[in-house]
Amino acid sequence: MILICDDDPGILEMLELVLEDTGYEIIPEANSLNVRAIVNKQVPDLVILDLWMPVLSGDQVLKMFRENPITKDLPVIVISASTDGNDIALKAGATHFLAKPFDVEKLLELVEGHLN
Amino acid sequence: MYLKKYKLANYNQDGFSLNGDTLKQDFDVLSQALDSSVSGIIITDNTQPDNPIIYCNTAFEIITGYSRTDIIGHNCRFLQQADRSQPARSQLAEAIANGKECRVEIRNYRKNGDLFWNELYMSPVKSAEGKITHFIGVQNDVTKRKKAELELLDQQNQMEQKILDRTRELRESESFLSSIIQTVREGLLVLDPDFRILSANDHFLRTFKVSSQETKGKLLYELGNGQWDIQRLREMLIKILPTSNPVVDFEVEHDFPHIGRKLMLLNAYRIELEGQYKDQILLAIEDITERREIERRKDDFLSIASHELKTPLTTIKGFVQMLEKIKPKNASEKFEQTLAKIAKYIDRLNNLIAELLDVSKIQSGNMELHHDEFDFDKMVAETIDNLRSSAGLHELKLEGKLGRNILGDESQIIQVINNLVSNAIKYAPGSTQVGVYVSRVGEFVKVSVTDQGLGISLEDQKKVFERFFRSGDIQRRFPGMGIGLYICQQIVKNHGGTIWVISEKGKGSTFSFTLPIEGRLQGEA
Repeated sequence: MILICDDDPGILEMLELVLEDTGYEIIPEANSLNVRAIVNKQVPDLVILDLWMPVLSGDQVLKMFRENPITKDLPVIVISASTDGNDIALKAGATHFLAKPFDVEKLLELVEGHLN
Repeated sequence: MYLKKYKLANYNQDGFSLNGDTLKQDFDVLSQALDSSVSGIIITDNTQPDNPIIYCNTAFEIITGYSRTDIIGHNCRFLQQADRSQPARSQLAEAIANGKECRVEIRNYRKNGDLFWNELYMSPVKSAEGKITHFIGVQNDVTKRKKAELELLDQQNQMEQKILDRTRELRESESFLSSIIQTVREGLLVLDPDFRILSANDHFLRTFKVSSQETKGKLLYELGNGQWDIQRLREMLIKILPTSNPVVDFEVEHDFPHIGRKLMLLNAYRIELEGQYKDQILLAIEDITERREIERRKDDFLSIASHELKTPLTTIKGFVQMLEKIKPKNASEKFEQTLAKIAKYIDRLNNLIAELLDVSKIQSGNMELHHDEFDFDKMVAETIDNLRSSAGLHELKLEGKLGRNILGDESQIIQVINNLVSNAIKYAPGSTQVGVYVSRVGEFVKVSVTDQGLGISLEDQKKVFERFFRSGDIQRRFPGMGIGLYICQQIVKNHGGTIWVISEKGKGSTFSFTLPIEGRLQGEA
């Protein structure tokens, strides 16, 4: 199960389509404030996370994951169009970083690497 | 000789009514004595009308150029010719009228019209009854002396005039300077060698809301709440006078009295003048708080704009790639080409957005350099490979190798190669060959990109690396913002290398750049 959190509905829709087509089970979430509740209910196999989100930013979500023993090793792929996204993501504990706009194939490679 | 004797005899008989040979002999001797004098001597008879000359000696003839026959019987004034308005003349007339002695320097004219200065000593001869019977005039030609005197006077006058002019000029330029100092929109302080304030312009006083009284005569470091008492600034200011090294763009962010927290930009120079301004320091202080804030907002705006533009682009790119994945097996060539074109233009749009952001970063000096070691040859080969997919009819030919790793920002160098090769393809629509040549030159690696395209005129070659420069004749035929080469140049410069172009209009261009293999040398600015 893959959790995707991005406040942009277009990205969510696109990623849902691509990943479901490949056969993965997806939980799309536009509001980062809901992530904690979702994870508490069921820890996903992998998270795809945006950085610039209102109220709770991607790096804050990441830190929250890393501080929690249950999610501290959870694979997280950060996707962002921010120029300093790479630095912020890796500092916050991201497993991978992909700059937007990314190649779908590249994302699928990273996902496969963790899930198969 | 005869004439003279005759004259004197006449003179003796008519003038003095003398009798007796002894006396006559004495007068002959006297007359000879007068003739041997270098001074011209005349005697006039005041008892006759118009005071005529009744005697002149040889020297007088020589000085005036007139002969005795021209002279005797005339009034002296004939020597002045038409030059009658001299002050010396009235002096002379007055002395004659009052029977007094006088000494004048008067302009006289020789028979041939030449001017000569006559130093005339005139004294009256009185009879026993006190009546003035004669005047004796002794004259010396002082033309040379007078000329020298006049020249000297003239020089003195000229000198005085020059001094007057210079003083006026100085006064004017001083008020000119002070009006400039007062009008500039920058705070200015003049400091003496001990950093004591000699003067402050109005803009400085207004900026810091202080008075002239609380500024002038104070040490720079005592001003306000000690805002300028910064160790590093002190060190730099101390070096200004002995080394003439200016303080350039020194930023001070401080909570100033009256005006609060501000960002000030300081520039200090030694005043390179002799005289009263020698060894003074000019300190210019500019409030850049607002400017910096605007710059920051502009940068923020651009990064938000680029973020917002890239987000839907990500979605489009994803959907297009999805289309590629799910395209029917029997899809037509047209279908595939169309998908490929969309992908290509998504990349182009993405590059444009990235370039806009790069320009902004370069301008605000925020272009970061990530120095890492990487395989240069591999990087070039991969970059060229990626470009081949969008090269169309152009054949990209890669030659040469560096054969070792290099220290630098790989993604930025890829950007430079991408840009140069893309340009080579873009501006050579009629040709098919683009050459990329890699070589090692000393401690540098050199990359050249050659096309057989339009070429660039000599005039435009100087400008192609300028920001937003677009050559006139390509402006409409080729799209672009004129920032690609500017970014390339900044990247290469940041790495401590150089970039240049050799081109001939109509034949093609070669863009080359060098990079230091060991990365940017320490201490390079």
